[in-house]
Amino acid sequence: MRLLIVEDDRKLAEFVARGLRAEHFSVDIAGDGIEGQQYLDSYQYDLLILDLMLPKLSGSELLRHARRGDSTLPVLVLTARDATEDKVTQFEAGADDYLTKPFDFAELLVRVKALLRRTPVARTDVLRVADLELNRLTQQVRRGSQRIELTAKEYALLEYLMSSAGRVFSRTMILEHVWDQSFEGVTNIVDVYVRYLRRKIDEPFPVELIHTVRGVGYCIRE
Amino acid sequence: MNHRSLAFRLAVWYALLLSATFALVGIGMFYGLDQYLRANLRDSLRRRSLQVEQILQQAPAALSDSAIAEAINTRVSPEFNNRFVRVTRAPATPVYRSGEPADRSFDSAAVPPPDVPWPASALVRQIDTAAGPLLVSITPMASASGRYLIELGTALGPVEAVQRRLLGLLGLLLPVLVACAAGGGYLLVNWSWRPVERMSQTAEQISVQDLDARLPVVATGDALQRLSISLNLMLARLRDSMHTSRRFLADASHELRTPLTVIKGELQQLVADPGARSEERERIGSVLEEVARLEHLVAGLLVLSRLDAGDARREWCDVNLGELAASTAEQMHLVADDRGVRLQASALAPVTIRGDAGRLKQVIVNLLDNAIKFTPRGGTVTVRTEALDGNGMLEVRDSGIGIPADSLPHVFDRFYRVDAARSRDEGGAGLGLSIVRSICSAHGVEIEIDSIVGSGTRFRLSFPLPAVRQGST
Repeated sequence: MRLLIVEDDRKLAEFVARGLRAEHFSVDIAGDGIEGQQYLDSYQYDLLILDLMLPKLSGSELLRHARRGDSTLPVLVLTARDATEDKVTQFEAGADDYLTKPFDFAELLVRVKALLRRTPVARTDVLRVADLELNRLTQQVRRGSQRIELTAKEYALLEYLMSSAGRVFSRTMILEHVWDQSFEGVTNIVDVYVRYLRRKIDEPFPVELIHTVRGVGYCIRE
Repeated sequence: MNHRSLAFRLAVWYALLLSATFALVGIGMFYGLDQYLRANLRDSLRRRSLQVEQILQQAPAALSDSAIAEAINTRVSPEFNNRFVRVTRAPATPVYRSGEPADRSFDSAAVPPPDVPWPASALVRQIDTAAGPLLVSITPMASASGRYLIELGTALGPVEAVQRRLLGLLGLLLPVLVACAAGGGYLLVNWSWRPVERMSQTAEQISVQDLDARLPVVATGDALQRLSISLNLMLARLRDSMHTSRRFLADASHELRTPLTVIKGELQQLVADPGARSEERERIGSVLEEVARLEHLVAGLLVLSRLDAGDARREWCDVNLGELAASTAEQMHLVADDRGVRLQASALAPVTIRGDAGRLKQVIVNLLDNAIKFTPRGGTVTVRTEALDGNGMLEVRDSGIGIPADSLPHVFDRFYRVDAARSRDEGGAGLGLSIVRSICSAHGVEIEIDSIVGSGTRFRLSFPLPAVRQGST
């Protein structure tokens, strides 16, 4: 899979590229709109990661140019602005998804993978981590032979963590997926819910599954 | 009537000054007239007295008293002229006394003799009688037939009548004139005050949100016109500086986002590196926690700058305040439980208002979060909604530590902390209540805070109900 990052902030581009290369993508970096255009014209890409505010040629213009060349190329827009109207303009211009800075690399990776898959993967009905089991159809959770009763929010939180076992989810990601933006920057609501969740699924058992990664967030793994 | 208003005070001053002026003029007129009338009377008495003198001078020594009386009656006719005439020959022989005057203004028989027995020269005396005061000229004279004392008088009644009429006239006119002048002055001042009134009305309607509005310029060509123009210029400068500071806030929070992404990303990759020692992980984690705080701060500033730009007025719909408060409280329940605070969502009456549901939820979240943070274990936080006096009311009350009175006006200021050390521990950026205020002002909501240190704080938000704000969107 070959990806192009068009981003004028060299360091940001490199850190994203490094992370993506670690996930076995091959990544090119263009530092401005014109360079991005040249890369796009010269090579075939599977995905374009695009900053909207670019020198020489703006991101929106580059986006239109890319759409003229290959209308199926998935485009993930990075933006420092997240006002609603900006989102609308980006989607009108042909972006498939957007991420607002400052974003978590984990979130970017999720979006990139989703865009590359394009067609939604068949959802597994039963998620498993070690002896913990979550059934999406019956909305039941059990660990080993024991059934665990969760509140709706606890269930949503656990489902989100288990949707990608082993990945670290940042508090921002959890907040945006399980709650909504109203809670951003205000409360330690995520920590509180994780604590309650641990009481139910970890504390009665010998092996802990939910792990705290200090400064980053939480992950569930064996 | 406002007793401290300039118009009222001016009118009172007008009235006082005018009263004093009129009183002085009145007193002057009264005494001037008195002097003038008395002088006139004196002259006329002297002329008559001279006539009597001439009669006595010319009379032959042998002329009888009755002939003298006859002569006086014919030439002076005192009764007809309402004059009193008495002629006495030395030492005390009455020669003549006039009869009742035609107007009966005095009783000539009751006029007492002069208090100066025999004056050396002519003089004028005021003599009080039962019927009223008389002005009497007393003239001594000598002729061939002997020495005589001529008394010639007239009643002062008519003079006093004129004076009384003058007093009456002044007493009637003065209050009327003063009242007219004071009332007119009051109206005039009020009238000339009207442009200022209009200016201040417009000025009151200008909020930080619409600094483009201008005051009406009054074309009076004086200080008032200059005042309105200079106020407008000041508004323009204010708007420019507001723009600059908003622009700066927006730019700064945008510019911080890219470096934050890099810092966060790089550090997260370091933490994720399986080769990292756990001590390093801890340190990086601690830095990452600070990065998260910066992130919250930048996000908060961005929210504020977007609200400044009028972002909260775009997506308005009907919002059930009661339901919104109930669902938000439900979501915050565990956070409160965790801190040992009871969160009550009681009496949530269905109140439908118009607004941006997402933003309004943020208001409730921020208020509840704030209340929970500053309520000690075992305390209670209550959220309530009701429709009151045509307003939708949302109330968040806590039994927390309270806010000192001198801090109350500042709690909505950006980065303001009542107690710096404590609230920083709570991880607050000091923007939560500023965001609340910005959203509220975009919704035309009035915020009221009551707080008692040690016993709790109450935030009351009054939302205009849709019926009230018809016509505006």
